[in-house]
Amino acid sequence: MRRALRFIPILLCATRLGAQGVVIAPHALFIDGRARSGSVLLYNPNTEPVEVSISLLFGYPVTDSLGRIVLRTIDHPDSTMRSAAGWIQAFPRRLTVPPLERQTIRLLASPPPGLPAGEYWARLVIAARGGQAPVTGVTDTAAVKVGLTLEVRTIIGVYYRQGAVRTGVAMSNLRTALAGDSLVVRSRLVQQGNAAYIGTVQGVLTDPTGATRGEFKAPIGVYYTMEPRYAMRIGALTPGRYWLKVKLTTEREDLGPEVLLPSAVARDSVEVGIP
Amino acid sequence: MSRAVVRVGALVALVLVARAGRAQGVSGQVGIDAEVIGQGMAITSLRNLNFGTVIKGVPSAVLPTDAAAGEWQVQGNKNATVSIVFTLPTRLTNVQALPGSTMPIAFGPTAALWNRGTNTVAGATPFDPTAGTTGKFGPPANPYIYLWIGGTVTPAATAKPGIYTGTIIVSIAYL
Repeated sequence: MRRALRFIPILLCATRLGAQGVVIAPHALFIDGRARSGSVLLYNPNTEPVEVSISLLFGYPVTDSLGRIVLRTIDHPDSTMRSAAGWIQAFPRRLTVPPLERQTIRLLASPPPGLPAGEYWARLVIAARGGQAPVTGVTDTAAVKVGLTLEVRTIIGVYYRQGAVRTGVAMSNLRTALAGDSLVVRSRLVQQGNAAYIGTVQGVLTDPTGATRGEFKAPIGVYYTMEPRYAMRIGALTPGRYWLKVKLTTEREDLGPEVLLPSAVARDSVEVGIP
Repeated sequence: MSRAVVRVGALVALVLVARAGRAQGVSGQVGIDAEVIGQGMAITSLRNLNFGTVIKGVPSAVLPTDAAAGEWQVQGNKNATVSIVFTLPTRLTNVQALPGSTMPIAFGPTAALWNRGTNTVAGATPFDPTAGTTGKFGPPANPYIYLWIGGTVTPAATAKPGIYTGTIIVSIAYL
C-alpha cells in the first residue's frame, strides 16, 4: 500500500519539458538555376542543445476525396515528375545546434545536363530532437514505467527554377453546399505553365443588395490538379439567391513578391440558393 | 509553458539577420543592415507523453485532454494550412532489460487533438493520429497550432520491470 501511494504523484504529473525544437527560416526556399544554391537558417531558442538531421524528399500538396489538402510524398518519382529531390544536397546533414545559437544549412543543386526550363520541387525535412530522456529516476526496481519522447519534423518546400518559368491556374466546376451554419465551397484547379501556382484563394458571398454575407481567404499552392474544400461561416441567412465570387491571385502575405511568379487573376462565380 | 511561448514568439526577430558591415563609398563609413529572410516556422515539444508507472496486466490510457498527454506548439504563418502527420510506434522497448522486452502501444481514432491559435484542449478538434489531418494556423495575433496526443499501453502480466520508451514523430508541412 505504501509503495502504491508513493507513485501517485508520478501518475498525476506529466513530464514537463524544457521546450525543444528549432526555428526554421524561411519556410519556403527558392533556388535560382543560375546560382544553384540556397540556405536555411536554424535557431535553437531553448536552453538545451538540439540534434538536427536534414533530408530531402519529393512531395507536393494534393486533395483527397473530401477536399482536404494533404502532402503526397513519392519515394521514387519517375522521370515525368518535377522532382529535384535527387539532385539537391544539404550540408551539413547532421548537426547539433547549441542553446541560443543559430546554424546555416546550405543547399547545393546539381541538376542533370540539359534540364528543360521549368520549376522543380523537393521538400526539405528538418528533424529536431532534444536530448532528454522521457522518464527518469527509477526508485523502485520492480516498477514498470512508460514514457514517450516527442520528435518534430518540419517540412518546407524547395523550388528550383531553371530558365524561363511561368505559372497560372485554371478554375472550373465551382460549386457549393450548405453544411450547418457554413457554406462549403469547392472547385477544380489545374496548374498551368511550368511552375507551381503559389498564391491566395479568396471567396466572397454577397446578397442581392451586394452586401457581403460571408468570406474566406487562404494561401494555396497548385502543383498539378486539386479540388480543395473551403468552408465559410454564413450563419442564418434569409432564404433567397446569393452570389459567390471566388478568385485566385499570386499574392501571399508570407512570401515576398520577388519569389512569387505573377499571373493573371483567375475568377469564377456561382449563384447560391439559400432555402 | 508561458515562458516557452514567449521565447518562441520572440523569435520573430530571428528573421532579421545582421550582415557584416561594408564600406559605403569614399566616406569610409561602415553600416550594418538587415536581411529579411522571411517568416520562420517552429515546432516545439512542450510535453512528453507520459504514462508514469503502470500495473502489470492492466491496460493504461492517457487521453489527449489529460495533463500527461504529449503536447506540441507550432508557430508559423498566420492562417496558413499545414499537413500534420504522425509517425507512431506500435511497441515500446524496455531500455533497462535484455533486448526483446517490449510493450504494445495503441492510438485510437480520437487520440489526438489540434487547436488553432489557443493553448487549450477546450474546443480542440479530435483526429486519428494514424491518419493525420490538416490544420490551420491562428490569426495574426496567435499564429499557432497546438497538438496533443494520448494513447493506450497494454503491459503484459509478465512484463519485466524497467523503463519502456519509444518516440513519436510529428511532421508538419506547409501546403
